[in-house]
Amino acid sequence: MPSTLPPETDPEHHAHAPPRRRRASRGPAHVGSLNLTSMIDVIFQLLIYFVVTASFMVNEGVLAAKLPQGSAAASTDDELPPEVITLKLTSGDDPAEIAIERGAFVYASFAELEADLDRQRYDPDIGQIDGLYPADSPVVIQADGKARWQHLVAAFNAAVGAQYTNVRFSEN
Amino acid sequence: MGSSVTARGPVTPSMNITPLIDVVFLLIIFFMLVNNIVSDESVEMVLPDLEPPHTRELGEVNRVVVNVAPKPFTAQGRADFPLEHAGQARFVKVGTGAGSEFAVEDTQGITAALAAMREANPDLQVLLRADAALFYDQVRPVMGAVTAAGIQTVNLVAYLPEQ
Repeated sequence: MPSTLPPETDPEHHAHAPPRRRRASRGPAHVGSLNLTSMIDVIFQLLIYFVVTASFMVNEGVLAAKLPQGSAAASTDDELPPEVITLKLTSGDDPAEIAIERGAFVYASFAELEADLDRQRYDPDIGQIDGLYPADSPVVIQADGKARWQHLVAAFNAAVGAQYTNVRFSEN
Repeated sequence: MGSSVTARGPVTPSMNITPLIDVVFLLIIFFMLVNNIVSDESVEMVLPDLEPPHTRELGEVNRVVVNVAPKPFTAQGRADFPLEHAGQARFVKVGTGAGSEFAVEDTQGITAALAAMREANPDLQVLLRADAALFYDQVRPVMGAVTAAGIQTVNLVAYLPEQ
């Protein structure tokens, strides 16, 4: 006759099951613990590395420029075209050397150029009425192919600093 | 007398550091991701250093960065003499991701990439990051390529004034 007892309490069934392990002690269960100190050390090292090497382009700013062929807006015929200020940059043998010209005027530095451009600006709002060029006069920067990008941006910066609003690079 | 001795023996102090580890892991993941994104967008170079800079921050706009990377520098002391360089560009990188690098001569590829981006995003702003030492004849074709994509203004990237 088959046994009606559940398998755990069935002596026959028990005889075929593998022997159960018994806890060595009857006290509270031992909580396993892991020593995390070395892992935390490594994680902090990683964190410090990534924090130090992170760069967020925080110190970079922009100057808005019109592109050479960008000012294709048709000028109306009923008004005179505005006087163009042409800045000519000529590179020398020394990479740091650059000749800055505006027509017949030659400048020793971009700071000098900026001061002169500011002086030449016609601005009745601040009482500067002897200037020749309104602030929206086109300023065109012309440079030879061996001029360094640093100098082009510096000339651009000088015109922007002198509060001209329409600054662009020459087409040729 | 030792006060930490109880009837069951000395007490070992312990701290639950699980939340600390959670936070530190999150920080690590954050910095790893941000580092990757930023370094992918801005190629290493020396930007034009202006005296005094009139640059401004662009703010939150839809932007694409066009990098004109210089050839590696052979001369020492780049920080002291940033213009001591052959002036040649190595590659042009438009935006990020795979296929964003172009040869300097490949103006058609640059134009096509920018035109596609502009198609998806009409008020796209282009940032032109070029090394200070590059010759103008290396940067000019890139500006021409940007113009050919129908973009009329470009933002020249230089250092900001120091606070």
